[in-house]
Amino acid sequence: MDFELLIGIFPQVLLDGLVLGFMYALIALGYTMVYGVLEFINFAHSEIFVVGAFVGVEVLLTLKAVGWLDALSPFLVLLVVLLLGMLASGLLAVTVERVAYRPLRGTPRLIPLISAIGVSFFLQDAVRLFESIWRNAFNLVYPTMDTLNIRFSLTETIDISVKSLVVIVASLLMLWGLHTLVNRTKIGKAIRAVAEDQAAASLMGISVNRMISLTFLIGGAMGGAAGVLFGVQYSLVNPYTGFIPGLKAFTAAVLGGIGNIPGAMLGGLVLGLLEAFAASYLSLLTGGAFGAEYKDIFAFSILILILIFRPKGILGEVVRERA
Amino acid sequence: MTVLLEARGVSKRFGGLTALNSVDFELEEGRIASIIGPNGAGKTTFFNVFTGIYVPEEGTVAFRGIPLLGRRPDQITALGVCRTFQNIRLFGNMTAVENVLVGMHCRVRLKLWDVLTRNPRWQREEQVLWDRAGELLSVVGLRGKANELARNLPYGDQRRLEIGRALGSGPSLLLLDEPTAGMTQGEARTLMELLRRLVGEMSLTVLLIEHNMRVVMEVSDRVTVLDYGEKIAEGRPTDVQKNPQVIEAYLGRRKWIPATETPHA
Amino acid sequence: MIRRILDHPVWATVLVGALLAVTFYGVSRFPRSIVVFMLFQCSILLLYFARMPGWLKGLLTVGTLAVLMPVLGSINGYYLEIAIQIGIFVALALGLNIVVGLAGLLDLGYVAFFAVGAYSWAIFGSPQANLIFGGSFFPLPQGWFFIFLLVAVAATAITGLLLGLPVLRLHGDYLAIVTLGFGEVIRVLANNLDKPINFTNGPKGITPISRPPIFFEPVLRALGIDPNPNVVYPLYLYFLVLVIVGVTVLVNRRVENSHIGRAWEAIREDQTAAIAMGVPMVRMKLLAFACGASFAGAVGVLFSAKQVFINPESFTFMESIGVLAMVILGGMGSIPGAILGATVVTVLNLQVLKGLSLWLNELRNAGIEILGYNLANLPTQLEPAKYERMVFGLILVLMMIFRPQGILPARRRQRELGEG
Repeated sequence: MDFELLIGIFPQVLLDGLVLGFMYALIALGYTMVYGVLEFINFAHSEIFVVGAFVGVEVLLTLKAVGWLDALSPFLVLLVVLLLGMLASGLLAVTVERVAYRPLRGTPRLIPLISAIGVSFFLQDAVRLFESIWRNAFNLVYPTMDTLNIRFSLTETIDISVKSLVVIVASLLMLWGLHTLVNRTKIGKAIRAVAEDQAAASLMGISVNRMISLTFLIGGAMGGAAGVLFGVQYSLVNPYTGFIPGLKAFTAAVLGGIGNIPGAMLGGLVLGLLEAFAASYLSLLTGGAFGAEYKDIFAFSILILILIFRPKGILGEVVRERA
Repeated sequence: MTVLLEARGVSKRFGGLTALNSVDFELEEGRIASIIGPNGAGKTTFFNVFTGIYVPEEGTVAFRGIPLLGRRPDQITALGVCRTFQNIRLFGNMTAVENVLVGMHCRVRLKLWDVLTRNPRWQREEQVLWDRAGELLSVVGLRGKANELARNLPYGDQRRLEIGRALGSGPSLLLLDEPTAGMTQGEARTLMELLRRLVGEMSLTVLLIEHNMRVVMEVSDRVTVLDYGEKIAEGRPTDVQKNPQVIEAYLGRRKWIPATETPHA
Repeated sequence: MIRRILDHPVWATVLVGALLAVTFYGVSRFPRSIVVFMLFQCSILLLYFARMPGWLKGLLTVGTLAVLMPVLGSINGYYLEIAIQIGIFVALALGLNIVVGLAGLLDLGYVAFFAVGAYSWAIFGSPQANLIFGGSFFPLPQGWFFIFLLVAVAATAITGLLLGLPVLRLHGDYLAIVTLGFGEVIRVLANNLDKPINFTNGPKGITPISRPPIFFEPVLRALGIDPNPNVVYPLYLYFLVLVIVGVTVLVNRRVENSHIGRAWEAIREDQTAAIAMGVPMVRMKLLAFACGASFAGAVGVLFSAKQVFINPESFTFMESIGVLAMVILGGMGSIPGAILGATVVTVLNLQVLKGLSLWLNELRNAGIEILGYNLANLPTQLEPAKYERMVFGLILVLMMIFRPQGILPARRRQRELGEG
């Protein structure tokens, strides 16, 4: 066992884990916010995330086609793309809630969950359909923006690309923005009230429906932002790439404590780090028997284990089973 | 008279709230006993402790000397203790006879193999089950509505079906949580006669939670009074009725002295 | 109006019989027409709704499935292939129906049991096992296929128990997600267990897998039929599927109408009350899991033998959701519903979508112009056959909103208490 190697790659792995973790955190926020308000797992959130990525790639490809991509500052372009992606995903989330979940409010819990699964599957092929017609291709690649790919060294052994920095900075900004929104504004308070007790909140004059739509809007927007950043970071997107990150982000949300916003952020980071370490070290530690391919099982196993042994997660509260 | 059910020093807390505070209780075989007390006194909590839904923080509970604590509700039912619920919890989309059949589940001795092959043993046992279910329905007076969906039955019938279903498990002890709630006096009377018959013919012991004082006074051999999780009185119905603490618990502190005898029963 | 005809025994028999005969003739005359074949399938469906004496309905059903269908299959082998696929999915839907419909447990990883069954025969019924154990002892003789049907039932039942034990205490959505995770774990394992020991040969899959022996060869020869494997096997597998489906339906019905089925329904209605009445919840749920899983295991073995080649691609989350869509479309907890749901969805995917694909291709090749748009320019990536997920998704959403009980809701009671 080459300990020097193991220790040597540690900082880089740590960094990669953080980047991954922030992305999971952003997606996890969508799951946790909706669960906090409705006690419902929005299975379709993984597709809302992917739609953000696709909006991003379409805008960038269009800009490239008209020649503006190279002319403008990449950071400005990214900002615009990010906002557009967030808007599209947010609106999609609100629409999905209206069409597929609201009619099912009050039914036994499995019914809306099944509907959500249906929406997820439908959206995957809907994106495929749209792109097949629009571009005759649905495996799309984010156009390269050279500035973003510059890697610069932090120390001898660690380097980081500009785009990873962008991911980290953007994520931090959005997390901070969400935190402020939820905890320091009147609207945030209204959302939290609805999450606590819908009946009481409506008696206080809060429009529950509007708050729910708003929750979906914000959660969806977070997912959309994550989608754009995902596309920027990994370049390749297709309609089916949402499923696995979505499932992992859900794991992160549960890990941190479902329904708990700081929990989602924490869970995302923890999961990202765990996954990065699994990917890098698993192969080295087992002598090549189990390699990075098992990192997905790693995440799923964590999910299964938490739900069985500590469903409230790290920061969560116990949801009392009604007798 | 053997002691069927025994509770010693049972305490149950929910966070800061003490629902039961060191309660002792004994029930002799063949009796009909009642637990009464104002709302929130801890009566249903007490039942939940007996039937394994709650685990008390302190104390012991034993049935025929067998400790009940830590056992699952279905295990306790198999031992011979069965209950009904304050809010009717029938299986609405199943018929009356099916509800009773489910109640009999813990007495079924068939194996999966018997079910798959439908061998003569299965056919015999199933017939026995259905016959017995029919008998139990007759006992509670619902034989004619055996194939009706439970949720379509009128309220009084549903209450009686709950008892029929509980009888399915062949219990020695029946715990009934407000069985006459929502009934007229006439219906309540009929139900009490049924209970007396059950005790006599099926060697049952019955423990009631009740709010209907007439019923309680008429049918109980023994009454226990809970208030704020504590036992404040116990004894014969007439004695408990006169107990000033009991009266105060129900009606609050008074400024005038009540009569020592109720006008008439 | 059709309803009224179907309710009248004589007219129903006449109508259904006539439709069957006409469509049968139609398919034999136009073997390439998917539409005519679908009409034939609809006639079979009408048979289900027709009210006629039990023996007559049974006779017609057996006759259609055991005689008419194989004949059509000999004319156009593709139809036999469709029939076999339908059969496999019917068995899967019936299995999931026990878990979801009867016991009320949302299992999103059902395909994992299918995979376990399929791989069990794939490994031992092919040279793959030699890579694990060394030597050249494998594949096992063909006759072992039948033994492995039982082996798979046991193996998947045990897997179901192992999965169920830690998981069944969870409530609704969490149970669903955990089963989903389990399904994914199995898929990734299948994809990656080719090192350090090569169990599953990873994404390359396992082949060739042995098929069951043609033990009735002497009978065929005596009848003067040439036992050409290419001709015999499709029909042989078709009848095997029929038998397996028949057994599955039988087991389903027997378990449903027993104290076990009643206990499951009680748990579904009101879990707390059921436990209070003495129903051992965990044991009953485990039983449902194991039962449902074992059906998937048995058809898994058949699937392996039929395909001769399997790889992890056949056992993804999409398949789990596909089977779920079948159960929900047909009606949770309903045996005829599961059969109908499986048939409709499989037909949609294999016939309708594929037919659309073929039709689109023909349009492209023909170069027709509609409103100034030359159809040859239709995007090549647009292939309806690939849009199975959209079909599943729409089914799930629409059914939940408009008809959650399914097309053929679980019909109530078979047995009633007679007069005292």
